[in-house]
Amino acid sequence: MKALLEAELLKLRTTRTFAALIGTAIGISLLVLVLSTTLSDYDREQDVRATFAGDFTGLFILLLGAMGIAGEWRHRTITSTVLAAPDRLKLIVAKTISYAVAGVVVSFVVTSLLILVGTVILSARDQTTIDFAAVVDIMWRNLIVAAYLGALGVCVGAIVRSQVAAIVGLLIFSLVVEFTLFGLAPDVAKYMPFNGAPTGLQDVTFDDGETEFLDPGVAGLVMFGWVAVLFAAGAVLLRRRDLT
Amino acid sequence: MATVEVRDLSKRFGKVEAVKNLSFDVQAGRVTGFLGPNGAGKSTTLRALLGLINPTGGTATFGGRRYDELEHPSATVGAVLEDASFHPGRSARNHLRVLAVTGQHPPGRVDEVLKAVGLADAADRRVKGYSMGMKQRLGIAAALLGDPEVLLLDEPTNGLDPPGIAWMRGMVREQAAHGRAVLISSHLLAEVAQSVDDVIVIANGELRAQGPLEQVLGGSDGPATEVAAEDPEGLARALQAAGHAAVRSGASMVVHGLSPAEVGRIAGAAGLTLLLLTPRARSLEQAFFELTGGTDE
Repeated sequence: MKALLEAELLKLRTTRTFAALIGTAIGISLLVLVLSTTLSDYDREQDVRATFAGDFTGLFILLLGAMGIAGEWRHRTITSTVLAAPDRLKLIVAKTISYAVAGVVVSFVVTSLLILVGTVILSARDQTTIDFAAVVDIMWRNLIVAAYLGALGVCVGAIVRSQVAAIVGLLIFSLVVEFTLFGLAPDVAKYMPFNGAPTGLQDVTFDDGETEFLDPGVAGLVMFGWVAVLFAAGAVLLRRRDLT
Repeated sequence: MATVEVRDLSKRFGKVEAVKNLSFDVQAGRVTGFLGPNGAGKSTTLRALLGLINPTGGTATFGGRRYDELEHPSATVGAVLEDASFHPGRSARNHLRVLAVTGQHPPGRVDEVLKAVGLADAADRRVKGYSMGMKQRLGIAAALLGDPEVLLLDEPTNGLDPPGIAWMRGMVREQAAHGRAVLISSHLLAEVAQSVDDVIVIANGELRAQGPLEQVLGGSDGPATEVAAEDPEGLARALQAAGHAAVRSGASMVVHGLSPAEVGRIAGAAGLTLLLLTPRARSLEQAFFELTGGTDE
């Protein structure tokens, strides 16, 4: 398993996809953060927390995970991957863990950067900032969500197999379906895998004051359930599929 | 026990029975050609051997163990499949590094195999800039990474230029000389004839022939003789009377199942003058087409 994990992380580091996706995520997140902290007034700590926690990295980590396994079919490298690691269950476990680890690393870098830049801007503007305990609180929640989304992306990619379908499907579901559900059926939306449950774990509130999320503990259990179900489905399909 | 054993292997894709009760062995120290027309089931068989597809029935093993049961698969079996693909954005060296890490091979093996296949100078270029022949060499480098006991090569000369093909021939002979079993699938029969010891011929998913090259080349209908006579009609009648048919081939004719001496005796008994009397070896192509029911047109 250690060798498989090392190999998966080496794969991540040896293409430009990883750097390009993460660079884009950092760029967009920084842009939104700078605009928000420059143009808005912050007089509640909860608003600052929401700004620091709500970056775009999660979406990119989700896509990265999906591409990590669906890309194996796209580039037809799945054959050499399975030849090198014929135990397909171990293979998908290694991929899931690897992309969870990658998510954690990326989230740590991005969250640290956002908190640093955001705090500098807010301090310069004499706006409310957060203390170190709050930073740690945001950080560990963000890291768990990032690990979860990396793993979830791999599971979705293993099920869908088509890289384009996986990416388009994830974008539509996370950006359109889930957000529409928040308007139509918020009690259902808060259990959703990509925004609903993770936002509950991050323990943030938004300005409207009406959107209720799951308690962090419940959200964590729901997220575990999503990963477990999608991992099982992905593993069964990967093991059964003929690689022709 | 043979190095590679296939027993009653079957694979069905929906209504299509791609491989039907196929059985054969591949021995260590020999190069075995795996022949058959397109769609014969060669690639399906190789993929079943490698655990990439789940057989409907039968077994395919290496030293008695399925591929996924091998303790160190890439140190036991090296494979180059027809559609070997690589991430276009990754360099050859990094592709091999990933495989070396997965297979727990020493990092130094990467440079060794890159040098062995002649890619050392291009090792750090991204694969998307590689020619088809270079990709084929990279596939072979990946197969050799674990210094395996068995090599499975599916159409390995595809995309190789003549020097590359010559290199491939030398490489497979060298591997066999070191005691490794080499199974090489190809539709380029001329290539196979020059580098294999044994052949396995399949068609429509079924075994048609297996054995040493010379034995399969000889075919089931024995020798063949090319003959021309002053009176070809008379010779045809004499042969027919002796229970043999002659097939016209330009100005001469070919008699299957008779040696030149036997044809000469029949002609002499009939008082015919012969202008040509020579043994005609069946080429591997001829044997192949006869075995597989194809044509050489």
